[in-house]
Amino acid sequence: MLKYTLRRLLGMIPMLFLISIVVFSLAKLMPGDSLSGEIDPNNTDPAYIEEMREKLGYNDPIHEQYFNWITKFVQGDFGKSTRYKIPASDIILEKLPNTIYLGATSLLITYILALIMGIYSGRKPYTIGDNLIAGANYLGLALPSFIAGVFAIYFFSFNLGWFPSNGSVDIQVEDGTFAYYLSRLHHVFLPAVVLGLLSTASYTQFLRNDIIENSRKDFVRTARAKGTPESTIYNKHILRNSIIPLITFLGFDIVNIVGGAIITETIFTYPGIGQLFLNSLSQQDYPVLMALTMMFSFLTLFGNLVADILYGFVDPRIRLD
Amino acid sequence: MQISTSPQTSVQVKPMKSMSPWAIARRKFVKNKLAMISLFYLIIVAVVSFLAPYVTTIDITRINIGEMSLKPSSEHWLGTDKSGRDVFTRLLYGGRVSLLVGISCTFFVVVLGTIVGSIAGYFGGKIDNMMMRFTDFILNFPFLVFVIVLGTIFFGKLNGLAVLIIVISALSWGGVARIVRSKILAEKENEYILAAVSIGCSPIKVIGKHLIPNVLSTIIVQSTLLFASMIVAESGLSYLGFGVPSEIPSWGNMLSFAREPDVLQGKPWIWVPPALIITLTILSINFVGEGLKDAFNPRSRR
Repeated sequence: MLKYTLRRLLGMIPMLFLISIVVFSLAKLMPGDSLSGEIDPNNTDPAYIEEMREKLGYNDPIHEQYFNWITKFVQGDFGKSTRYKIPASDIILEKLPNTIYLGATSLLITYILALIMGIYSGRKPYTIGDNLIAGANYLGLALPSFIAGVFAIYFFSFNLGWFPSNGSVDIQVEDGTFAYYLSRLHHVFLPAVVLGLLSTASYTQFLRNDIIENSRKDFVRTARAKGTPESTIYNKHILRNSIIPLITFLGFDIVNIVGGAIITETIFTYPGIGQLFLNSLSQQDYPVLMALTMMFSFLTLFGNLVADILYGFVDPRIRLD
Repeated sequence: MQISTSPQTSVQVKPMKSMSPWAIARRKFVKNKLAMISLFYLIIVAVVSFLAPYVTTIDITRINIGEMSLKPSSEHWLGTDKSGRDVFTRLLYGGRVSLLVGISCTFFVVVLGTIVGSIAGYFGGKIDNMMMRFTDFILNFPFLVFVIVLGTIFFGKLNGLAVLIIVISALSWGGVARIVRSKILAEKENEYILAAVSIGCSPIKVIGKHLIPNVLSTIIVQSTLLFASMIVAESGLSYLGFGVPSEIPSWGNMLSFAREPDVLQGKPWIWVPPALIITLTILSINFVGEGLKDAFNPRSRR
């Protein structure tokens, strides 16, 4: 297992290298002049601009520019934001905790809801409760996150006033107090539910089907024949077998959060890296954009890797190849 | 001596013809009420959308300042938006664009994915290895991030709709390729493929005539589900402002009005119709897909 994991981890390096080339080429192809931030816009003297270009290395051959960028990037120097004039890493680090908080809350809500609904449906299949949950699941699978978000804001924020519709925290609350954390939770709840909607629906369905399938297996019949109470059969014998495949989804969750964060954060104007990504794109803030794109790609790669490794962990046959 | 029997007296026993897999699937599908209702809904939406210029005569492009943000009435069934354009008319025209983008993306993705997947699966070895590494590479891109970045680069240089379709298709064929490859890998081990190869069929013929028809059911089910996700992709990108150019009405573009708080809060007739129609369309596509999956599954009894 360790050997397999190490091999997969090493396999990530060429992939990251290729992705970095793609990201760099894309940044070069981007419209607009990526120099605008570094060069004083009031000074239009061609000699000055030429001097700055030379100094910043924009006249170097393209592969040298790439190696300059990637060496710095690997060392953690993402360049300076052309808009805010501070290192790109500072801007990203400022927004990153918000997104991690959103993602973690969303995962927590997803797994709690999916476990409750899945276990109930699996234990009492084809009843009214199961059918209701199945109906909700179909809706959850069909409802795109942006539509769910828009409806959630309309009903829960505007009409009922239960949750705030934007931001990550109330401005008036003092940092570090109990009210501050409560306010953050209050702000993150609705986006987190919307972000986890699709996964909740699919995990519930998966868990239900797996529980029903397992409940027909021989070991369950044996347990029943021996007189094991029904609750012990479901909570111990079946659940332990059904939860294991569920953990393999953890990798895909990381991938989903990367894409979902961009949409969800835009709907709820939640100040995370997804919103930062779209902002830096429209403001042509290339250093931030490149760093974020690399980060998203890395997370996606990492998520797929985690999924594969977890698969190998759960099903030893996969490791052999 | 000859014994002759007149042909009239012999009782012709026709061998009981069993139904073809396609006929069985069709019968199962027709019996599936939910799938049939969804299919009818989709057909109606598609027909009405594509016949939009005949259904309604209102000009969609003209901005009418006198009729801004009107509530639904007998004259404007679903009201008007902030520029005084009729929401119902835009919904029809938007359906045209959204369905067109969805269908063309699905078509390109399925064709590309099937070609890559079947070649990789049939030839195996080095070709398979190389093609699948490339597929993995494509699959490892965060879809939304790269569609937005690529869209921004090519935007303005080419027709906006074409850019969107190409970019979405180029980044999403990986999943189909993987599935087709795994199906082909299993299917090519059968004797009839060996027979076809031994009588001298070229690889193209074996793939096109023998392998693809046998994995077609999987491809059809996949493309239905893909169609739903392509519509989600289009409307999601348009909602964010990176999809269909804003001057062309599409369901996603209409929904993007909901990003303005006053529209979201006070003028629900502007954004609720596109939101509902997107959800219903995706829901019905999913039901049709489930129905097809069930119909093609020989183990399911209905």
